[in-house]
Amino acid sequence: MKRLKVTVDGKAYDVNVEVIDEIPGAGAPISAPPAPVASVPAAAPAPIAAPVAAAAPKTQAPGAGDVTSPLAGKLVSLEVTVGQDVQEGARVATVEAMKMNTYIYAPKAGKIASVQVNPGEAVDEGSVILRIA
Amino acid sequence: MPISKALLTTLEQKRRAAYAAGGEEKLAERRKKGLLTARDRLTALFEANTFMEWGLHAQHDCHNFGMEGKSMPGDGVITGVGYVDGRPVAAFSQDFTVGGGALGRIHSKKICDIMDYAQKAGIPLIGINDSGGARIQEGDDSLSGYGQVFFRNVELSGLVPQISIIAGPCAGGAAYSPALTDFLIMTRKNANMFICGPEVIKAATGQTATMEEIGSASANASVSGNVHFIAEDDTQALQIARRLLSFLPPNNVVDPPHRPTPAVDMSPDPAINDLIPSDPKAPFDVHDIIARLVDGGDFLEVHRDFARNIVVGFGRVQGIAAGFVANNPAQKAGTLDIDSSDKAARFIRFCNVFNLPIVTLVDVPGFLPGVAQERGGIIRHGAKMLFAYAASTVPKLTFILRKAYGGAYLAMCSRDMGADAVYAWPTAEIAVMGAEGAVKILFKREISSASDPKAKEKELAAEYREKFASPYEAASKGMITDVIEPAQTRAILSMALRNTLSKRETRPPKKHGNIPL
Repeated sequence: MKRLKVTVDGKAYDVNVEVIDEIPGAGAPISAPPAPVASVPAAAPAPIAAPVAAAAPKTQAPGAGDVTSPLAGKLVSLEVTVGQDVQEGARVATVEAMKMNTYIYAPKAGKIASVQVNPGEAVDEGSVILRIA
Repeated sequence: MPISKALLTTLEQKRRAAYAAGGEEKLAERRKKGLLTARDRLTALFEANTFMEWGLHAQHDCHNFGMEGKSMPGDGVITGVGYVDGRPVAAFSQDFTVGGGALGRIHSKKICDIMDYAQKAGIPLIGINDSGGARIQEGDDSLSGYGQVFFRNVELSGLVPQISIIAGPCAGGAAYSPALTDFLIMTRKNANMFICGPEVIKAATGQTATMEEIGSASANASVSGNVHFIAEDDTQALQIARRLLSFLPPNNVVDPPHRPTPAVDMSPDPAINDLIPSDPKAPFDVHDIIARLVDGGDFLEVHRDFARNIVVGFGRVQGIAAGFVANNPAQKAGTLDIDSSDKAARFIRFCNVFNLPIVTLVDVPGFLPGVAQERGGIIRHGAKMLFAYAASTVPKLTFILRKAYGGAYLAMCSRDMGADAVYAWPTAEIAVMGAEGAVKILFKREISSASDPKAKEKELAAEYREKFASPYEAASKGMITDVIEPAQTRAILSMALRNTLSKRETRPPKKHGNIPL
């Protein structure tokens, strides 16, 4: 409660003013109780299609004899051509990623059946670079 | 008056009955398959005549489902203490010939007893797992038994080294006891480890999987990373365990078995200079470098088949035992990714808790970019490396071989993350990012407004590279202890390891930090 002196048109009034905020437990709540802190429910993120789901032949699920890239990058060179015979462990391609060359080796001996990526093109992690029959 | 002969005869008879395990037929069958019996395994593990058995006369006390009166020698597990390289080691070996090695109340009590003894005596524990799982007849006693073993695995963790050998089936809940130990060795044949087998997976989800895909040694070692070593057979598994022990202290308050050479040989090793390709983009296999740093090229690689872009393992340098952590530029460009971070962080923490100095070899172009990495939580996983290194108080020595880029460099134990000394080869590049990327950000306007933006970018990148693609800028600011010729590495590492062995670093006590798991 506050006592104020108010002058209106030259006439002084003695006024008692009740300040609601100051009365404990009276009047409207000062503010709504804080909502319990919880993390915002995540808007379910759309599942990202796995590379294997893409229709492009380059990203088909690898099978036996498929030589895949261990990481995403750019194919800088192919060390073999279609029809060539390779030994297991022979270097067949080079992928550049993270300012490094990563050499790709033949997982088995055989003949290069097809090449899926040309030098200069991008490769994804796990995508097939070439196939050994 | 001497002891009565009858008493001694009874003792002898009881011993024979227990040694007979599941019967000569079953034992012979195993040997025919090329498997060692539970007892053979302990004999092969320990030095001759050093094994002292605990609980040879133990028997189950189950009265359910036809178990009454059934004899189970040793209750399906052999426990005790023996010697390896002149040092005592506690062990248990589950006996598949006795009730399928299934775990019941007394079986688990025997394991718990030997674990408690290992803790009190401060000696390592080796568990040889070969069990069909819970002894169903004993119901919740069996479940409770597993719980008591798990609890002790956790209690022993960080007190004494724990090594598990998976030499037979290890399925469902049983797999969690080995999983709580420091190192898992699995035999290639005859062993399986999984939580849900192919039938359960099929019934629950409709997915088809082979045992080879989910439970084999190779799946566990290379895909899931549950297992640290693959052994071709039982004998090799025990050899690996013994070799591991040769680097480890018996407990956390004792130093590892260093065998320092009387004098430090400071002669250079020129051959190491030839291992570095002149092209900074060309990969090399970091194993070749490690082989030249450790005594006799003798390096015990841990987790060899998992996350091969980082290499971890044990070796001695002029006799001082140490743990090595090294990026391997020959795999995934040496990047750090989720699996390699998990692998290295766990190894670093093992070294720290058992007083092994940590030697870090850096050639890291960054964290592996990719959607799968981001969504898989590379932030959370990469943070484990930062945490593990910073929280370690053992001697930490870092050698920068080539690339040391960005946050990945910090994650490889830079000076700021607590390395006691950092040495760099002249080929080292310490930078927040690669030159091309850096100038694109720094000089965006200059490049776009240039008459030939490509040429301008190249010119600026060369300038940036000259400043940061050498160790001298970082060395001038004290981030590098010294720049050394590769040929000097072994000599300097030897000396630095000895210098730091007396290191003591105390931090405010706490229960434990909160490593981002």
